[in-house]
Amino acid sequence: MTRLVEVPAHFDDRSFDQFAGAFAEASRDDERLLFDAHAAEWASPYGLVGLLAAGQAARRPGSGAAAERPLLTAPTNPEVLSYWARAGFFREAGELFEIHGKVPRVKAAEESEVLLPVTSVRAAEDVHAVVSKIQQRASAILASELSLDPKATMGFAMALSEACQNIVEHAGTGGWVAVQAYNWRRKLARRVVVIAVADAGVGFRHSLEPTQNKRFGDRWGDAAALEAALVQGVSRFRDPGRGQGLAGIRRYLVRWAGKIAIRSGTARIAIVPPWDDDVPLKDGLPPFPGAQVLIIIPEQGSAER
Amino acid sequence: MIQYIDMHAVLQESISGVYADLVTRPTGRVVRERIERAIAGRGGGEVTVARMDFTGVGCIDYSCADEIVAKLLRDRPAVLVLSGITDGHCEAIEPVLSGHGLAALIERADGTLEGLGVAAAAAALLDELVARRLAARRPGGTYALTLA
Repeated sequence: MTRLVEVPAHFDDRSFDQFAGAFAEASRDDERLLFDAHAAEWASPYGLVGLLAAGQAARRPGSGAAAERPLLTAPTNPEVLSYWARAGFFREAGELFEIHGKVPRVKAAEESEVLLPVTSVRAAEDVHAVVSKIQQRASAILASELSLDPKATMGFAMALSEACQNIVEHAGTGGWVAVQAYNWRRKLARRVVVIAVADAGVGFRHSLEPTQNKRFGDRWGDAAALEAALVQGVSRFRDPGRGQGLAGIRRYLVRWAGKIAIRSGTARIAIVPPWDDDVPLKDGLPPFPGAQVLIIIPEQGSAER
Repeated sequence: MIQYIDMHAVLQESISGVYADLVTRPTGRVVRERIERAIAGRGGGEVTVARMDFTGVGCIDYSCADEIVAKLLRDRPAVLVLSGITDGHCEAIEPVLSGHGLAALIERADGTLEGLGVAAAAAALLDELVARRLAARRPGGTYALTLA
């Protein structure tokens, strides 16, 4: 029997909890999953890498056979389909899903908005490749379109590197990253650059549990783990130099009025800039494996630095 | 004696491929271990002084800055003079040094030495170089390496 997981028509960080709820419900009896994206109208980079993480998690352990991959119905809208292909989604999805529907053979990243197409991250070597590529592609856009100081380009690469390393060092599995620039009419009416990173690994709570569980006592859980990692700079390693990555991302985002939100397990934490009305910490969300990171850097213009 | 370290060359020897960025902890670890081998036994009981040239290095991230610069300073008494360094490099290295209560010196393009990290620690590094006649005060009141 196959269980249906509906992909939201507008699939981004706001609708992700709805998707996670459907995923959790459908996963309960260990049946094969069908991710239905036929009615998708738009997906953010966060939605695309999140969908890949769901596909990774939905592979039933020990199966190995192609028949055991989850199913995915591709969007029917040709423009949406073309965009997902250009964003590099299908290049990665082919290994994870049995895809139903016509997928266009379009090369990824042929447009300026896609600064980095959906790219898998499994090892330090992948992080090197991502950082190298983003510096070639992004520096002109960050300076000319977002009015960021050229100095900010290196900080952007640093933030991207640290976000990707979170997968390599903590997830226990591979993940994906995507970077795009687009006009964000909903919140800001200006351009933004978005970094989305997702994996279906062990998540923050599991990663930090051996060193932090006792310290937090009854409070220990996904929300406490996220708080420890992002706000307190705690790492699972006892090395005193650890925990620099997320702290560095925070410093960079404060300087450029950016936002970071991390979802892991049943919780989501955000460092909320003045232009946003997101909630700093949410708990009790539908469970979803691994960690999903969203970083938004807005066009500077009149924004306070 | 000042040990010269070409960071770009060490990076190229340390990783496969043609990447110019000092990113990720594994890369930082390999680079640091190569530097440690290079400076081992050269001090003769004195504080190690090394001039690390970052020319040609693209980006350095916080993890790599911690793994290389901070750990080199944490594990031994040393004066690190960072040359060929950009503001972007400093942005990653400075908070890592400050977080550990450490400092290094940066050598500007005109040869001027400046502190990076904790000010008091940076002043002590400069004193060490002056005492060993590896740096001297210039007419404008700034300091520069004597062998540069």
